[in-house]
Amino acid sequence: MTPVGEQHWEMLERIGAYAAGELEGEEAREVEQLIFERPEYRRLAESYARMLVMLTTLGNEPVEAPEAVVGYAIRRAYISAFVRSAEVFVGALGRSYLDAFVYYLGLRRESYGGGT
Amino acid sequence: MLLQEHSGLVYRVALRILGAEDAQDASQEVWIRVWRNIKNFRGDSAFSTWLYRITINTCLSVRRKESRRGEREYGGDEMPFLPEPPGGDADPEAAALGTERREEIQAALGHVRAEHRAALVLRHMEGLSYTEIAKVLEVPDGTAKGWVSRGRAAMLIALAEEDHGRRGAGGTTG
Repeated sequence: MTPVGEQHWEMLERIGAYAAGELEGEEAREVEQLIFERPEYRRLAESYARMLVMLTTLGNEPVEAPEAVVGYAIRRAYISAFVRSAEVFVGALGRSYLDAFVYYLGLRRESYGGGT
Repeated sequence: MLLQEHSGLVYRVALRILGAEDAQDASQEVWIRVWRNIKNFRGDSAFSTWLYRITINTCLSVRRKESRRGEREYGGDEMPFLPEPPGGDADPEAAALGTERREEIQAALGHVRAEHRAALVLRHMEGLSYTEIAKVLEVPDGTAKGWVSRGRAAMLIALAEEDHGRRGAGGTTG
């Protein structure tokens, strides 16, 4: 194993980016050269490649949400729809009462269908 | 059906970021936030991007509540190497899917700083582009790229240490 320090963190990230296929042109060629010349960098690139395969493979595995989670999401959807409808209903009801009260107090001169 | 599909997305991401123990509670919290904020979804971005954002934010807030677990730093003096799988690299998927390996990956993810872990999961497990990751995490593209890069390096260190520790304790590779 090769000693590394803080200054090698950048190299660690560059080789990671190379292993992930994210380097292009001159940058990629530089890292390729380093990997070719330094066995420990080659080993590092191989380790990254292994890790990325593991992550991708795991990421591609289908994950089913437990029934409890799906059921909860559906319940929340119903509750949310109910609350929204209730908000609209209560809002409309409140406005109607307010209008009626204003009319009762005679603060607004409007005819309500009587035409007088 | 749509809800079922998106429940899968929410739970899967929560599982990767938080682990099995907290994923269910976090998923439920996500759905509370989704229905509370659905009025604010204006369709500027894809619904899945918006859902990813709420899921990631929920997971990060769950993590913030816990005692901070630091990212594994370069305290040691060795390059982080992973051993070759027993069957060689010829069949990497088979080598990657062992239960023990899966647990190691989850444990190693737990040692990556939460923001970097989220970026890493979105990039290498969810397959999002850097532009999409930047939108989900609400950071500039360069920051998203940096977080993925640091997450990748920290993950390799953690995984190598997990492996080193296991072999030191007399375990088997798998």
